[in-house]
Amino acid sequence: MKSRLKLLASPARIGIYAFLASAALFFLLPLYVMLVTSLKSMDEIRSGSVLALPLAATLEPWRQAWSEVCTGAACEGVRAGFWNSVAITVPSTILPIMLGAVNGYALAFWRPRGATLLFGILMVGAFVPVQVMIYPLVRLLATMGLFGSLPAIVLVHLIFGMPVMTMLFRNYYASVPHELYQAARIDGGGFFRVFLQVMLPLSLPIIAVAAIMQVTGVWNDYILGLVFAGRDNLPMTVQLNNVINTTTGSRLYNVNMAATILTALVPLALYFFSGRWFVRGVAAGAVKG
Amino acid sequence: MTAMRPRYRLRSVTPFAALLPMALTVIVAYVGAALWTLKVSFTSSRTFASDNFVGLAQYERLFANERWMLSLHNLAVYGLLFVLACMLIGFLLAVFIDQNVTGEGVLRTIFLYPYAMSFMATGLVWQWLLTPGNGLEQALQQLGFRDVQLDWIIDQNMAIYTIVIATVWQASGLVMAILLAGLRGIDPEIWKAARLDGIPKWRVYLSIVVPMLGATLSTVFLLLAVAVVKLFDAVVAMTQGGPGTASEVPAKFIMDHLFLRSNIGLASAAAVVLLVPVLALLAPYIYARSRAKGRA
Amino acid sequence: MVHAYRMALAAGLLVAGACSHSAHAGQAAGPTAEVIHWWTSGGESAAVKEIAQAYRAAGGIWVDSAIAGGDQARAVTINRIVGGNPPTAAQFNTSKQFLDAIENGMLNNVDALAARQGWDKALPEAIVNVIKVKGHYYALPLSIHMQTWIWYSQAAFKKAGIAKEPATVDELFAALDKLKAAGIVPLAHGGQSWQETILFSSMLSSVGGKQLYLSVLRDRDQRAIHSDAFKKVLLAYKRLQSYVDAGAPGRNWNDATAMLISGKAGVQIMGDWAKGEFSNAKMAAGTQYGCIPGLGPDAPYLIQGDVFVFPKTSNPSVLKAQELLGNVAVAPATQLAFNRLKGSIPPRSDIDASTLDLCAQKGVQIMKDKARVVGVTEVYLTPDQNGALQDVLTAFWNTRMPVETAQKNIAAALRD
Repeated sequence: MKSRLKLLASPARIGIYAFLASAALFFLLPLYVMLVTSLKSMDEIRSGSVLALPLAATLEPWRQAWSEVCTGAACEGVRAGFWNSVAITVPSTILPIMLGAVNGYALAFWRPRGATLLFGILMVGAFVPVQVMIYPLVRLLATMGLFGSLPAIVLVHLIFGMPVMTMLFRNYYASVPHELYQAARIDGGGFFRVFLQVMLPLSLPIIAVAAIMQVTGVWNDYILGLVFAGRDNLPMTVQLNNVINTTTGSRLYNVNMAATILTALVPLALYFFSGRWFVRGVAAGAVKG
Repeated sequence: MTAMRPRYRLRSVTPFAALLPMALTVIVAYVGAALWTLKVSFTSSRTFASDNFVGLAQYERLFANERWMLSLHNLAVYGLLFVLACMLIGFLLAVFIDQNVTGEGVLRTIFLYPYAMSFMATGLVWQWLLTPGNGLEQALQQLGFRDVQLDWIIDQNMAIYTIVIATVWQASGLVMAILLAGLRGIDPEIWKAARLDGIPKWRVYLSIVVPMLGATLSTVFLLLAVAVVKLFDAVVAMTQGGPGTASEVPAKFIMDHLFLRSNIGLASAAAVVLLVPVLALLAPYIYARSRAKGRA
Repeated sequence: MVHAYRMALAAGLLVAGACSHSAHAGQAAGPTAEVIHWWTSGGESAAVKEIAQAYRAAGGIWVDSAIAGGDQARAVTINRIVGGNPPTAAQFNTSKQFLDAIENGMLNNVDALAARQGWDKALPEAIVNVIKVKGHYYALPLSIHMQTWIWYSQAAFKKAGIAKEPATVDELFAALDKLKAAGIVPLAHGGQSWQETILFSSMLSSVGGKQLYLSVLRDRDQRAIHSDAFKKVLLAYKRLQSYVDAGAPGRNWNDATAMLISGKAGVQIMGDWAKGEFSNAKMAAGTQYGCIPGLGPDAPYLIQGDVFVFPKTSNPSVLKAQELLGNVAVAPATQLAFNRLKGSIPPRSDIDASTLDLCAQKGVQIMKDKARVVGVTEVYLTPDQNGALQDVLTAFWNTRMPVETAQKNIAAALRD
């Protein structure tokens, strides 16, 4: 008991909490500004300081952002695109993660001929700014007759997600003990058997990371959804962009901030609930067992 | 060990079949788009791709363009600072959170939430915070620090550093998450053994854990490098490449010429030039890693 | 696990199939027009709703595709034309932005409408030059904005002891000096390259005059660019910078207007979309703020505007929709309603302007004198040339570049 108390109050422990607390302050500062701005009226924003608390807090910007703000002839707020974003994000997360996992597994353990070269090209492809590839992809999808539809945008997200997803899993499996793989093979496991029964269960932490990255990337994507999804499937970010980025019109900063926070709630929920997947020592435990 | 592998390869065609989607994507989408971009960079294409070949004219124009040269310089400066800062902060955050702290879920969300938010809005907030006469400078002056001047964002030479601050804020959380996943994959026995041997914890981290995290660290490094090369949203939201063209970056240069200036010939040339150093860095790296794995 | 994989794939495709089917069902009454535009702010949205309502009243179905950011919206339009899924109509600026689309045969012409409306005679030359290519009309003008209005705060002028509106360039600089002496920020400016180009255009037209303006921008005459007269223009432009406050870089234009509204600044040179900010703050033209269209009685009136283009199609129902939309958009009632809410003035010269605000009425009056009307930079330059010019102007503004270097760089930017 005494040693446990000593551990809790030790200088090292205090140092850890101090560091985490000051880091948290730095990270929370912009969120504070966003919340405070979203509760002010435009007059207050124009005349006051960015860090000041609202004098007369109002939830009006939030209501406007969600359901009322006019973007063009439609006045539906960011709510309009919510289900479209869901319809795009779900397949665009599941498919790239599955393919990334299979690719990473094949690259880390099996390494067929030419695979490393393909992977190398894929990695170089990860560096290409997305917009450079839009035009050729438009032509390609038009030839396939898919342009402007939900399969088109899912396919596009798959193409752009593949490099990072593959790399995540490949590097993760590279640090899994090779003996595990060999033991499974000796036990008679084929390609998919070893993958599904041995490797995949070990992969929870990296699946969590992959899900975080892919859901965030797809949910916040704007330009790809705009070009490829077709008018009926436009994601929420299009409305969000319309609220934030008018060129020659006046900008409602309070509505901007409210709309941004609303749009970010889905990835945020994922971050919070993905905690259970950051489990300790899973791979190591499997070797012993 | 090595003698066993050829037998596996000959026996099973499943790995090839499983990698077929990747092969198709690489060849059709990536190599196809790269070849197309290369071709366009040799033409005088404006809004649409034309077949009017002009040889190296776009490249000549590119290297005579001050804005482009400045963007390359900015990329180097930014890249170095961003990668170092993110890796350091992300690593420290991951290590400290891994110490069985209370409220891990809350802390993790606090460090990760910047990654979830659209940079169009958060960039604007950072612009407000760092603009002189407003934001942080005003707040500090009101608190009594009369002489504080936070004018990096309007300074030709310092504007790029403000972008470092904002993007490190956004990305460190993700670095933390990935390193945390890696740390959680480490055998708990190591800690027990180290404690029995009386090795101080920080020593364990430096000499044992960091090498074990090799693959994870290289993942993080690659992701950060990709983010550096693709840096665009932050610059648009915070400085629009200004003041003047001081904080211009290559991705923004390319984007501006692709859409705004309807000059896809020049934009393609810029994209090709941007990829050359990436290729130069990546090719030996991948070659080395594949050889290393082969020996194992 | 493989089972789950297959289920997810099937689910994904099922959702995709359902969605694409629903897109085709239920188009019965009236021609459907899908319009891509970037009128997304409050005032702009209200304005485009007028066109939408007029279209619906004429029996059509309006499908709105609003995309903020002109370059994004245009990029989507271009990509959708290339991808084979074009909108019925799309917004562009009165500029050379759609020249490539015309040359590649991607737009339907509107010659019938042009003939009926007599555009050859009724519209200013600056507009006709960009919408008429090789004898055919390809765009429908919707609005005319003036880019270089000089706005001033009455309260600030009173505090600085400025009795009357500046009517010449010298009087403007004198007024700016008085504002500075009174401790007010003389010129409210947002440090973005397009705003600096507005300041430059204002100086080029006021200091240089209409002839020099056209030689430099329309004719891209190298000798004019290297002339002493142009050097004077550049020096006047750079002189404006001494009247700008330190927090200007990166500032949005409407935040600069806010400085005028709160009395912190005296003058802003900005397009007529700034009126929306004043109205939102419940300020009235002529009493609380003033608008000067140009310095001098014959000062050039710099116009830019918005047009609709109609992507090429031979689909009869789309052609019907395009025709209906065209007729609706040129109707006087529609044009008046649209422009009043947007702060611009109608391209038609025969509209009753008495319901427009004071500054717009000034504009309509000036437009009657065709000789005074010229286009802004993007009317004469391709997007690429315009961008290159902006780069030089913003570098000259922000660094210690010598004026001769600026001249040389501008000459190079406009050469090809």
